[in-house]
Amino acid sequence: MNQRAMTRRTALRILGLTAAAAGLRTGAPAAAAPTGEVKIGLAAEPNTFDPHLTVGRNTQIFIANVYDGLTARDVQGNLVPALAESWKRLNATTWQFALRKGVKFHNGDDFNAECVKFTLDRATNPETKATISSEVSTIGGAEIVDPFTVNVITRTPDFLLPVRLGELFGLMLSPKHTNATGKEAIAVKPNGTGPFKLVTWAKNERLVLEANENYWRGSPKVKTIVVRPILEDAARVAALQAGEVDLIAPIPHVRIAELQKNDKLVIKTIAAPRIFHVTIDVRKPPFDNVKVRQALNYAVDVNAILKTLYFGHGTRLATVVDKGALGYDPSVAPYPYDPSKAKALLAEAGYPNGFEVEFDSFTGSIADHSKPAEAIVGYLQKVGIRAKANVFEFSALGPRRVQNKTAPLFIYSIGNAYLEPSWVIRWMTQGGLGMHYKNARLDELLTRIEATDDPKKRAPQYSDVQKLIKDEAPFIFLYQADAAFGMSARVDYTPRPDETQWLYPLALKG
Amino acid sequence: MRRYIAGRLATAVLVILGVSVVSFFLTFLTGDPAEIMLPPGATAAQIGKFRAEWGFDDPVIVQYWRFLKRAVYGDFGISLRHGQQSLPLIAARLPATLQLTVTAMLLAIALAVPLGVLAATHRGGPIDLLAMGVALVGQSVPNFWLAIMMILLFAVSWGLLPTSGRGGVAHVVMPAAAIAINLMALLTRLVRSTMIEMLSEDYVRTARAKGLRELFVTSRHALPNALIPLVTVVGLQFGYILGGAVVIETIFTWPGVGLFTIQAILNRDYPVVQASVFILATAVVLINLTVDLLYVWLDPRIRVT
Repeated sequence: MNQRAMTRRTALRILGLTAAAAGLRTGAPAAAAPTGEVKIGLAAEPNTFDPHLTVGRNTQIFIANVYDGLTARDVQGNLVPALAESWKRLNATTWQFALRKGVKFHNGDDFNAECVKFTLDRATNPETKATISSEVSTIGGAEIVDPFTVNVITRTPDFLLPVRLGELFGLMLSPKHTNATGKEAIAVKPNGTGPFKLVTWAKNERLVLEANENYWRGSPKVKTIVVRPILEDAARVAALQAGEVDLIAPIPHVRIAELQKNDKLVIKTIAAPRIFHVTIDVRKPPFDNVKVRQALNYAVDVNAILKTLYFGHGTRLATVVDKGALGYDPSVAPYPYDPSKAKALLAEAGYPNGFEVEFDSFTGSIADHSKPAEAIVGYLQKVGIRAKANVFEFSALGPRRVQNKTAPLFIYSIGNAYLEPSWVIRWMTQGGLGMHYKNARLDELLTRIEATDDPKKRAPQYSDVQKLIKDEAPFIFLYQADAAFGMSARVDYTPRPDETQWLYPLALKG
Repeated sequence: MRRYIAGRLATAVLVILGVSVVSFFLTFLTGDPAEIMLPPGATAAQIGKFRAEWGFDDPVIVQYWRFLKRAVYGDFGISLRHGQQSLPLIAARLPATLQLTVTAMLLAIALAVPLGVLAATHRGGPIDLLAMGVALVGQSVPNFWLAIMMILLFAVSWGLLPTSGRGGVAHVVMPAAAIAINLMALLTRLVRSTMIEMLSEDYVRTARAKGLRELFVTSRHALPNALIPLVTVVGLQFGYILGGAVVIETIFTWPGVGLFTIQAILNRDYPVVQASVFILATAVVLINLTVDLLYVWLDPRIRVT
């Protein structure tokens, strides 16, 4: 029986290969109509399909399936053209985008320069009360040059504008549909140019996407995608094991090894761009002394934390530049774990007996911060730093950060959605939210980088930035954790390094 | 009677108002939604601007007053997260929660009554021991643990039931069982003890003396009277069942009020939290009132004055 099945399968495979070869010979395009259905289990669903009212990364990484931005990312994370075919900076504060022609929204509306202007006006209009307003705050306005050319004027020079106006915060709306549908309904009745159309959405229950066969990149391969929010980790993993869904994300780190042993499943991980770090209040002694800050970095065994809390599914970071970011320099080595060196540095700085300090951590956010914080506090105590841990609810830590009332040490993480170190470092040196590190040299380096529009020329300049930050040690540098995706053997999917749940390339095998 | 009901309804309004005040201030004590709603790169100044725009920097009492003024007209405000009116959002999830809780309640009663009666009629015997053992385990097992164990066994290992979600009858089995187990245990003990009490009453002895068959005595004379306290307990337990549903709905991603409320609390989505508290509190108050009225009807010895 088994033998026969094998031969049949082999025969089919040979037939398939022949057909493919025949196709190649005649030069016929492999443009097949989308087929099949794939079920996906996600930890969270979008809060809305209104790109200007999105809350949280879980929404932003999903709704790009229905919309397009002016730019996009490829599977390596490189910025690539999307609704804009090309872009250039005309002067310090003007970016010009040449738009793709012949693109249509799901309802048949044409995409053109008017749509870009309408979308940006809406995003920046205070009446929209856009949740993403902080990320589009540099935009001063848009000018239509011709139906397929738009100039975007920024208030200050903004080298990141092409990234902003990509899948992150530049998803394009149809003016006609948006005005006709109204602000409340647009949340559940999106009309984008993206690879999938939203068919139905019962919140907390299921969301059904259907392939946009007229997509300008070519039709997606899968006809129907059913997304089920399965909040509980155990239930989500169980749904994959029971074959109810074909793809789940994320998988808790503790379950990865066990699921990797299951030969019916494929587990793929990416280094999620969330950068864990401990902010040090450099204004206050003893932390105004760089030796103390370096001592903190020598004192914490980050690799052991990765091994025990993340079961090895993470990457030790030397600074606050993550592995997937532009210009990440692997030659900048992380501080090794060296408690005696830490003690020596503390003694040199005048604290041979350590000191007392408070340490803030929190629970209830998208990622676990309280357990790593506990471990770090333990390591600090080992070198004589009597750290006292305070654990807050995430939304209670917020007001403390806004009022700069955080403890001299607090754990936090930032998702580098832009994959651009300067974006992270500028945020971390803003002089607010409990972060007070300033450095003229760093500022100079970043300013030079930000004046360079070509990513290839920007990348090498980040090496000096990473060296400087490592030596200055204004943070305890920690790690980025992996995000794990689980899939059945019948689907083919490669997760993207910026975490976007981009379903366009998803395919059924065989 | 009419005055009694009117009085109870007036108290209900006070109860609902009280619950709303407490929940409003409790959610505020633990922070505001500004940071959850904004993208991670927002600066302190941008967060401040956002809080001012949405009125989160006003004193809590001012914010509550603003809320209350609209709430009396049934307007609980637009959900911060979903951008839609919050009361209809919650109301749309009520059928799912009622399906789950009512199934759980019926399941608990259907198991508890025969088990309790058998235990009482076979007092001290092996059946009694077994029933009390089941009740003990049922009362002490944490339902979230039971839920996950059931998923592993019935869905993953044996493939008999779906792991989570709402769909056909099969979907409701595990979540309803997980909620029912505690109540079932409680009711089994209750039925057993009231049955034992009833079986030693004079009217039962009279019935037996008349030469009626034991089965008839138990089912027609003792049981109906033993079930009266059950009505009260089930009514009172409904609030707990709704509470338990919050946990179970989350584990099974059951799209009901509980799951939606938990998410609203975590996201500090005040309009939704308030709408949900209003609906749940109203449901509990109405059910308790119904139970009390039912009690009067079932037991003529009780009079409303």
